[in-house]
Amino acid sequence: MAGIVCHTVSRILSSQASCSSSVVAVRHSHWFTSVLSLKTSMPLRAEPKKKKKVDPRREIMMKERLKKKLKRLERVPPELIPIEDFITPAKCFDETRIRDAPKLSFEESERRALLLKEWSRYKYAQHQTEMDTINEALEAQRQALDELKLESEELYKAAVSPDTDIFPFQHEGPSYTPPITNYEAPEGKYNDITRVYTQ
Amino acid sequence: MHGAVCLQRLPVVSQDRSPIEEEFMELMHQMELERSLLSDHELRLLEDAARMSRKQEEDYDSDEEEEDYRDKEIVTAQDLEDTWEQKLKQFQPALRSQVVDKKDVSSSERCLADSLILLVKKDVGSQKLWLLPQIQWQMGETLRQTAERALASLPGADLKATFLGNAPCGFYKYKYPKDIQKEGSVGAKVFFFKALLSSHKHLPLEKNSFAWVKKDELQDFLKPEYLKQVRRFIMAP
Repeated sequence: MAGIVCHTVSRILSSQASCSSSVVAVRHSHWFTSVLSLKTSMPLRAEPKKKKKVDPRREIMMKERLKKKLKRLERVPPELIPIEDFITPAKCFDETRIRDAPKLSFEESERRALLLKEWSRYKYAQHQTEMDTINEALEAQRQALDELKLESEELYKAAVSPDTDIFPFQHEGPSYTPPITNYEAPEGKYNDITRVYTQ
Repeated sequence: MHGAVCLQRLPVVSQDRSPIEEEFMELMHQMELERSLLSDHELRLLEDAARMSRKQEEDYDSDEEEEDYRDKEIVTAQDLEDTWEQKLKQFQPALRSQVVDKKDVSSSERCLADSLILLVKKDVGSQKLWLLPQIQWQMGETLRQTAERALASLPGADLKATFLGNAPCGFYKYKYPKDIQKEGSVGAKVFFFKALLSSHKHLPLEKNSFAWVKKDELQDFLKPEYLKQVRRFIMAP
């Protein structure tokens, strides 16, 4: 009879499963006085913890050590970001890549020299004409401003005042072929492999 | 006193090269090629050629070949080049010189390689003259605002322009013909302002009142005195 009661009690207990698995066997451990009393887990009924005075000191010491390490790291000057354009890639020093230099005939080298001289003359003339047009335009503007000054001071001042709306100025320069009207460019995928350096 | 606007449509297409420029470009390409190193693509081409010639030989032993190139379908660099050329041919760029007749002065799609100036035909006294768009100055506005008004007042033209600065780029003064000369106003002064055409709807403008003109063609349209002053500040490439 008592055995059956205990069996049912143990089954009830196991069915009311709580997290602490120590509730399973009631009779086996002496920590649990009665089933019907409040279920308290182990730590709650233990003695209050003694706060060791060494602990906060230890924590403070740890923090100071970390701070010192951080300061030491910060004192090191930051690594300079390498300029990738100034580093010649290893491919350029590969000997298998050297081309055979062609031998130029005398006429060919003469032709090249003459063409270079012709080109320098052409470019000089072009530059002179460009500078002349620019100076002409500047002169025209200066004269226009003089005339405006004669007309009225107010307008002159308004004309000479700087214009803030022009910049930023954007204009698409000439391309080889004109843009196609209503052109849908095909979408392309690309992998961006640029290296980003942080200091 | 009048304010006028010199509206310029900048070139859309690059200019053709002169013969010396062509020659020099060829020379530069050649010299750069001679002084350069072989690229990855070129190395690959050479390797493929060498491998092909090795295969053609009688004593060809395929085991001597490297692991990757044995008995497999290889895409040679030459094949890649051919496929790229095919793809390029599929794309049709727009024509450099447009179908629009060069003589049709009212279209702004005329000479895409040059910068064009807008001219307007106006009644001055008893004559009809081609001028840069101008309008009379009113009290209380700056000359630049006059120029902007001159641009906006053109009938039927939806032109968006950016004005370059507050200062005028040139001026022109003329005397009224004797029948219009009133007391006190002997003539007029016109101050020109430069503007660049930013965008516009491609609406054809009226043929007889608007013209888009290159710098060389200006002499066919403008009076000599007027032309002399206007040419000073128009810079054409």
